[in-house]
Amino acid sequence: MLPPLAITFARADPGGGVPVPSEAAGFTVMVRYVFWALIVVTGIAVAALLWSWLLGRRVAQRTQQLRRELIERHQAELALRKSEARFRDVTEAASDWIWEMDENLRFTYLSERFYALTGIAPQHVLSRTRWELAANASPDEWEKWRQHREVLEQRLPFRDFVYQIGVGNRHREGRYLKVSGKPILDGAGQFQGYRGIGTDITERVKAETALQESELRLRQIIDLVPHMIFAKDRYGHFLLANRATAEAFGLTVAELVNGSQRIVHGVDEEAEQMLADDLAVIESGASKFIAEETFTDRDGHAQTMQTIKIPFTAPGLSETAVLGVSINITVQKRAKEEVARMRLYLKNIIDSMPSVLIGVDPWGYITVLNQPAEQVGNLSWEAAQGRFFGDVFPQLESQFEQVRQAIRLGQPIKTPRMTLEVENELHYADVMVYPLIADGASGAVIRMDDVTGRVRIESMMVQTEKMLSVGGLAAGMAHEINNPLGAILQGSQNIQRRIALDMPQNLAVAAAIGIDLERLNRYLDQRGIRHFLEGIREAGVRAAKIVADMLSFSRRSESHFAPADLEDMLETVLRLAGSDYDLKKKYDFKRIQINRDYDPALRLIYCDKTEIEQVILNLLKNAAQAMTDDGTLTPAITLRTHREADFILIEVIDNGPGMDEKTLKRIFEPFFTTKDVGAGTGLGLSVSYFIVTEQHRGRLSATSKPGQGARFSIRLPARREALP
Amino acid sequence: MMVAMSDWVLIVDDEAMIRENLKAYLEDEGLRVAAFEAVTPALDWLGERGACRVCVMDMRLPDMDGNSAIRILHQRYPQMAFLIHTGSSSYSLPDDLRVMGLDDDSVYHKPLTDMGPLAAAVRARMLPRGCPP
Repeated sequence: MLPPLAITFARADPGGGVPVPSEAAGFTVMVRYVFWALIVVTGIAVAALLWSWLLGRRVAQRTQQLRRELIERHQAELALRKSEARFRDVTEAASDWIWEMDENLRFTYLSERFYALTGIAPQHVLSRTRWELAANASPDEWEKWRQHREVLEQRLPFRDFVYQIGVGNRHREGRYLKVSGKPILDGAGQFQGYRGIGTDITERVKAETALQESELRLRQIIDLVPHMIFAKDRYGHFLLANRATAEAFGLTVAELVNGSQRIVHGVDEEAEQMLADDLAVIESGASKFIAEETFTDRDGHAQTMQTIKIPFTAPGLSETAVLGVSINITVQKRAKEEVARMRLYLKNIIDSMPSVLIGVDPWGYITVLNQPAEQVGNLSWEAAQGRFFGDVFPQLESQFEQVRQAIRLGQPIKTPRMTLEVENELHYADVMVYPLIADGASGAVIRMDDVTGRVRIESMMVQTEKMLSVGGLAAGMAHEINNPLGAILQGSQNIQRRIALDMPQNLAVAAAIGIDLERLNRYLDQRGIRHFLEGIREAGVRAAKIVADMLSFSRRSESHFAPADLEDMLETVLRLAGSDYDLKKKYDFKRIQINRDYDPALRLIYCDKTEIEQVILNLLKNAAQAMTDDGTLTPAITLRTHREADFILIEVIDNGPGMDEKTLKRIFEPFFTTKDVGAGTGLGLSVSYFIVTEQHRGRLSATSKPGQGARFSIRLPARREALP
Repeated sequence: MMVAMSDWVLIVDDEAMIRENLKAYLEDEGLRVAAFEAVTPALDWLGERGACRVCVMDMRLPDMDGNSAIRILHQRYPQMAFLIHTGSSSYSLPDDLRVMGLDDDSVYHKPLTDMGPLAAAVRARMLPRGCPP
């Protein structure tokens, strides 16, 4: 169309611009007419040309405009098509879908996505309302649906209505859909229906539900935990607290969270200490274990807590917080204290026992020692623990078999009078092994009682019994012996008096019967009668003395501590020893030379006279017997007394065969004897030892070398206070 | 007669030789002695003749023990002094006898190697106290 227009314009343009040529007057007029005509024609032509040009120009302009419009529309159409395509692509590709309803709120359109997602066929959706799709909603959702229906019926826009549909009629799990919509109005504002989008939020809902459930479960768990679980920031604000924590402060969880410990905690010092701990954990970034801390609860009861605090960076927190778990160990602590107290109590009890108590496990390793055991083993309980008892108590090593047996049989096993060597002295011990069953762990307790003292006492008692029976016999006999002795002694005294020349009665009687008393006396002398009489008298005196000495020995129950003349005592003993000769062994005390080396400044000593006499007599007899057995040529015994600073020393020194070291070590042991069987009880020296050391708190010692005699030293305390 | 009797020494001892020896010794010392082998005849004799000054009493006697005899005698003859001459080694003086004026020095154990001290004790008890009527 444009090219023809242009051609038209091109033809008109040169035609209008060409002038017409003239030659005669008549022509002139003619010419003039022609000329004028020509001018008019020309004018008209020019006008026509101008008009035509203007018209052509307007047409061209319009054409131009139309052409532009056409292009624009074309472009718009293209854009629209493109947009539509893009929209469709987006719609198709998106997880969301588009829906439309008509003015009766029935679905008219749902994008493919909906069908694909839900698997519902279009015929089940189209021409139905939304609530018809959710017909099987649960009762608690009815209100929600009612409201939604109201919104739709009021033709209001809505956002994010979430509902659940059962998918198809297949009993698959429901899906959560979220829809938003907007009413469609036409140009006149007439309601045409709804258009909107829908999203399947099933996964999100499920995830959210799961998260909620998980959170709830965790919350329940931490609330169920009876221990305090909490988190605090560096300023002491609770970021989290379980129920136990809240209850400890007398608050609910909601009240406690975001609260400051300084405010909720009643005891400032405690709060400050805890906050200091918190801060230390936060600063160091390392966990802290607080074995014991005091927490005063809402009732004012001090509780002992065991707490662990862990640095903790929670999501959404810019700063490190502290997570704490506190366990109330008050009861355990009390129980522990009670156990400790009980343990100490029991330890005191077992320590107070004089017996040595050694607890061992089934393999003989020490578990417990009491104080006496510590002393005997010279090792503390702690140091002895875990060591084999035989190493610590070598004297008891032989008891290992008993330990095993006791545990195996479940019965105590007793070893009475076990002999032990303690510091070169023979000791006796009663050993008892008790099996122990404690919490399945078996073991045994070895109890050892040093009964050396008792053995000695018992031995002494045996001796005492013997002596008492002898003494009892002597006492019973004494009366019967004393009377005849009295007759002998008194009779001989009367005879001596009645033959004496200086008694007037004698002279008177002699004169009366006519004899010379003097001559009678000569006769008596010459016939030795007076000598025999003196012999009778001396024998009577000696017999009386023996009886008296025997009696004094036998009266042990009557013996008491009293001041006694030491020299008299020694003389008494010497006299008694002189009368004590063993016919069988043929030793005669009278053969032995007695040297007296008495301290003149020492006379009265405080002692049990009969006991000490017995000790000295025993020493004398031993010496005499040893010297007789050995055949010592000039047997001699020295009795020596000497005053020492704190002691009174009485020594019995002989020049007999002496003893070797081995014998010397054992001479005070009960039943130890060097004499032939039947010759001695082996108790003499041990009884002496007992009398001196136990009854008199003194010392009895012996020194000797083979062939060099023996020296026995009795030391008695010089001061009376030292005596029992 | 009664006054004269108070100078007498009474000996009660069942052992004849003891009794007789003691009697002989005391008589040699110039004392008048009545000796009996039991308490009953001694009491009879005293009942006939009244009190005596000193009594030397054995403990183990056929009719009663010496302590009881002393109690009876003391009740009847409060002025009488007593010496005990016993063969028992374990004799100890009862408290009521101590109240009567006896002490450990009044006790002599048999056998007496010398009767002198006993005789002196008898003499000592003859002198100081006034004779009973």
